[in-house]
Amino acid sequence: MRPLLALVLLLQAFHSNLAHAAERHLELVVTQPYLEMHSGPGRGFPVVYVAERDELITVLFSRTEWYKVRAPRGQEGWVRRADLALTTLTSGEPAPIPPYPEFSTHHWEVGAGYGVYNRENLVTAYGDYSITDSIDAEFVLQQALGTLDNRYITTIGLRHTFLPEWKWFSPTAGLGTGFQYIEDKVPPAPLEKSNQMAYVSLGARGFITRRFMWRADWRHYVVFNNLNVSEELEEWKLGFAVFF
Amino acid sequence: METRLCSVLLAAALLAGCSWFHRGEQAPTQIVAEDPQGQPSVIEPQVNRRDVKTPKIKAKDFEVGAYFGALSIQDFGTNPVYGIRLAYHVSEDIFVEGYAAYSKAGQSSLEEVFPQITVLSSSGRQFTYYDLDVGYNVLPGEIFLGRGRAFNSALYVTFGIGDVKFAEQDHFALNFGVGARILVTDWLALHMDVRDHIFESNLFGVDKNVDNIEGILGLTTFF
Repeated sequence: MRPLLALVLLLQAFHSNLAHAAERHLELVVTQPYLEMHSGPGRGFPVVYVAERDELITVLFSRTEWYKVRAPRGQEGWVRRADLALTTLTSGEPAPIPPYPEFSTHHWEVGAGYGVYNRENLVTAYGDYSITDSIDAEFVLQQALGTLDNRYITTIGLRHTFLPEWKWFSPTAGLGTGFQYIEDKVPPAPLEKSNQMAYVSLGARGFITRRFMWRADWRHYVVFNNLNVSEELEEWKLGFAVFF
Repeated sequence: METRLCSVLLAAALLAGCSWFHRGEQAPTQIVAEDPQGQPSVIEPQVNRRDVKTPKIKAKDFEVGAYFGALSIQDFGTNPVYGIRLAYHVSEDIFVEGYAAYSKAGQSSLEEVFPQITVLSSSGRQFTYYDLDVGYNVLPGEIFLGRGRAFNSALYVTFGIGDVKFAEQDHFALNFGVGARILVTDWLALHMDVRDHIFESNLFGVDKNVDNIEGILGLTTFF
């Protein structure tokens, strides 16, 4: 019971710090005949209050596509994003509801996925920054889990997106460099435990919904080593990402 | 004499006439104020543009917290597990989640029956995992407590991949889970989850898939 209590107190302290940072709330005027307020942030939650035209509502915060608002007499409820976008500021300007990031021109991306690296299962996570609409820099951290060894791989590279204006499917190609570290599971131990590598990649990406997207990638690695034969590896992976 | 008087009168009449024509005009006035030091100064009214800042709406789509529970490690009994989790809510239906946890395996049945046999060293009994999951809120709704209280809740399913480190070896693991999230307040959520971590193990000499089921209770905060 004690760790649970400590956790509640810790979370409360963390939350109240954040709450103090932003005390002013946005106030909006209802311009449509009415504004429906639901009991929860979801399509199925019942309407518990209806704000009238010309009423001033306070927007407290948002969660996904829903906004928690407070009516003048204190009733609170959740308003759908599309409904809130029809309200105005007290000055009459349209409500400043931030638009979703445009998929074809987004800047940041964070994702994770599954793949196969040198016939081993691969868990991958990556971050991506768009330098232009079609060129982006990607940073990847991944772990390959095989029966003979376990590898940690990190890479940095550049990727070009052909036809970034195609929303649902656009092909990509890239190249980059990285490191792998091998942790052997069964003898004999590998001759070299860590190597630098270079890769070329071919892939595709597409939009799913709101801030969600998918990526598929095939990579061909050349492992630099001090042996007579250079090692070549292949990898493919499929991942999902959130973009900002 | 008469002509001189006439010209004087005419001049006076002209002057009066001119002043009549200028009757509507007013001399420009200057507002002169005395300031406290006694120095006169000219007030130049300056109206600054009002800088209106509309407050931003805070998005609270992230969820962070910790959990504890019981993890049943196949062949090694049920043991306490402690973990942390971070989630991002993409839409009202979908969320992505990452978590990591720690547990320590107990004695296997073999070791209990034959105490002289040791299957795993002390460090080999450490069971740690991390997972990357996608979750779907299947049954969103409300939970009622008495007459006057309702808490938003959701029953969700999760699926993901990750790594389990057990017996000093990393294993690729799949995980399936079902959980309930109850929002005690808008920012505090109580979670109850049941998850299975499945991976291939050959600890006892044969390759087999082992199921490691855990039941956990957690608290998270939205930010």
